[in-house]
Amino acid sequence: MTFVHQNGVKALDGVSLTIEKHELVGIVGENGAGKTTLVRHINGLLRPTSGSVLIDGADARGTSVAKLSRKIGIAFQNPDHQLFSESVEHEITFALKNFGFDDALIEQRLNWALDFFGLKEYHKSSPLILSGGEKKRLTLASILAWDPEVVVLDEPTVGQDAIQKAKLLEIARTLHSAGKTIIIVSHDVEFLWSLQPRLVVMKRGRVVEDGPCAVVMQERELLEDARVSQPQLVALYESLSRRPASPFQDVSQALSWVSGERR
Amino acid sequence: MASKGPEVPLLSVEGLSFSYLDSPRAALTDVNLKINRGEIVILAGQSGCGKSTLLRCVNGLIPHMYPGDYKGRIVVDGDVVAETPMGKLAQMVGFLFQNPENQIFMFSVERDIAFGLENQGLPRQEMRRRVDEVMGLLHIEPLALRPPHELSDGQKQRVALAGIIAMRPNLVILDEPTSLLDPKTASELVSLVSKLNKELGITFVIVEHRLELLTPIADRIVVMDKGRVVMEGTPTEVLTNPASSTHGLAIPPVFSLYSELAERGSRLPRAPLTPEEMAQELNAP
Amino acid sequence: MYWLASGLLYRRVVSPFTKLDPRIKLLIAIEFFVLSLLASSVIGVAIIIASIVAVAAFARSLRRVGRTVAFSLIFATFIFVLNLWIGLGLLRSLTFALRFIAIIGSTSIFFITTSPDELEQIMKWMRIPRDVVFAFVTAVRFIPVVMLDAFQIMDAQKSRGLELEKGGLLSRVRNLIPVLIPLVVNSVIRSGELAEAMESRGYGSTPKPTSLYGMRLRWYDKAVLVLSLAVFVLALYIYHFYTFPF
Repeated sequence: MTFVHQNGVKALDGVSLTIEKHELVGIVGENGAGKTTLVRHINGLLRPTSGSVLIDGADARGTSVAKLSRKIGIAFQNPDHQLFSESVEHEITFALKNFGFDDALIEQRLNWALDFFGLKEYHKSSPLILSGGEKKRLTLASILAWDPEVVVLDEPTVGQDAIQKAKLLEIARTLHSAGKTIIIVSHDVEFLWSLQPRLVVMKRGRVVEDGPCAVVMQERELLEDARVSQPQLVALYESLSRRPASPFQDVSQALSWVSGERR
Repeated sequence: MASKGPEVPLLSVEGLSFSYLDSPRAALTDVNLKINRGEIVILAGQSGCGKSTLLRCVNGLIPHMYPGDYKGRIVVDGDVVAETPMGKLAQMVGFLFQNPENQIFMFSVERDIAFGLENQGLPRQEMRRRVDEVMGLLHIEPLALRPPHELSDGQKQRVALAGIIAMRPNLVILDEPTSLLDPKTASELVSLVSKLNKELGITFVIVEHRLELLTPIADRIVVMDKGRVVMEGTPTEVLTNPASSTHGLAIPPVFSLYSELAERGSRLPRAPLTPEEMAQELNAP
Repeated sequence: MYWLASGLLYRRVVSPFTKLDPRIKLLIAIEFFVLSLLASSVIGVAIIIASIVAVAAFARSLRRVGRTVAFSLIFATFIFVLNLWIGLGLLRSLTFALRFIAIIGSTSIFFITTSPDELEQIMKWMRIPRDVVFAFVTAVRFIPVVMLDAFQIMDAQKSRGLELEKGGLLSRVRNLIPVLIPLVVNSVIRSGELAEAMESRGYGSTPKPTSLYGMRLRWYDKAVLVLSLAVFVLALYIYHFYTFPF
């Protein structure tokens, strides 16, 4: 999958970005850097003033949001901006009906989603009584249910506690290894660091850096300028006088290196 | 100004239990907590553990706005909360809610900062003085005449906080203050909190899931689970205790690394609060 | 859509007119309003419209006033055709249509140059109860916020395959449900949070709240007051004793 995208207005300024199938991409940058605007271009909610968005090599210009969404599922930040049904079940099947799935398939996808997102016990409950973390998972379930090839997560960890975050991390990893293309817009550098995605840094409507997480997160000045902070493990790595070739990806890596050093 | 000692605590929660009207489950069960003047305390715990309920008890929204089954008592600065009118509590306890959008009422920043003072009926000159002072302190003078819809999330947050500080409370509650902010804006807010604590002696109680942001400035962490206070201590004491992750806390990598090292018999001489401090310890020969 | 929301937002403009005491601005708008109602000739109304345009230019708000007036042209045309059709004659029909434009112009000049803060002060000055004034203020404050909510909800539901413009009238109405329900839920949540924040900042704790801003007539306001009254009386005098040719 490819999209090239260029835009004359201030919100986005000459953005060119190509995302391949099965990639895991993180987008960071300060509020107002254009991340959300960029995301809204991917499924046609916004159309570029100049330049183009290509999905699977085809120009998205003439294709409706509904058609594009079939391929690209976007989970927006606030679950309260989309939950409306009288039951969890209906919430999940809403999009499937919109996309014209047949009953047997709807049934099958519903069961998969309830199971995968741990919502089985609530399938008849109203979405309004769910906790914040459950609402978030229901939002994801209602989108993953139609099996989009590309999944966009807009600030998935906002307001989520450690337990929910761990679940979200697990979900993102599973989906990625199942072959989905995943794009995550997030302020949560620790969360992104755990996923080690390809990292795109945005500032004032431009892409200012694009590369592997482990490399980009070491560019202190660039990040400072884009108002992004470094994950703790990277900050630790950089302050060490003797250190391995690349930053620690998780605590256990740091631990084995440090204990090796101290022996 | 900020003296930290075993004198009369600023806030004391004594055997507090509460359940909301028409809710069968107790939101708080026998909570006991003391917070001293000048402290910065993180209130942690997973969603639904009773943090929000406790905070609303402290500033009087419970029981004044939300009635329910209320046992025990809370004393702030010598006044029993349940018996003190909201108007007076508003001057003692400031509450910064999660979404700054919903606490800005007026059409200009300076007017909104004055909102609480207008409600108190302060004379105009006094309000003008305090508003200017607070805007200077929070570096938002250039925004004075801006309407709220022209502000960024970080600016809205500052304006909402300014409106609270202008009322000169001794205790300020921050409910997940960084959840909507980008990392740099979040750390700027943390520095601001530290400055207000040092310069004005304001005591802070902060709910936050991203502990790594606040541990460098916090004196204590109080952990809640299922409506009870289950752990209490300095950030190092709490975060290096293996029990803390069972209560749904996200242990910042620096702390888990420190405790794992200790477990393997190579305890660092000083417990670090930041990656830089940890590197210092590790770099030492 | 976003453009529509931004049109509702008050924009601060600094000009000799906008910095007048809001009561004077209200008075001038009322004077224009009364004169437009009383004007009975094409020339009379045309002079009023020209004066409104002059004031709008003076207030540096020509474009925004122009936008509302352009919008009112649709209705003005309708009034013109209707009056012509019931046999009022060309001149009188034209007068009615122009008068409508003048009325819209005079009111929009007031609302465009007066900040919600100033509106609030006027309402207080009129001794409208504080709760009513505050309800008005919050409503105006949160109109753009709720509209933004609505756009975000529409985006979320469109991303789930909802096609708002699809089908006949009935299904279009049904299509709105997934937008309206979250909008109502969000507004309820929002108003709850607002109530908490108001309480926490001591709203209603004293029967006599004060205000950071006050209205005070400076010499400049007084001069404009005298001038505008003089012009107003002169206009009434002309109306009474002079008949325009058409």
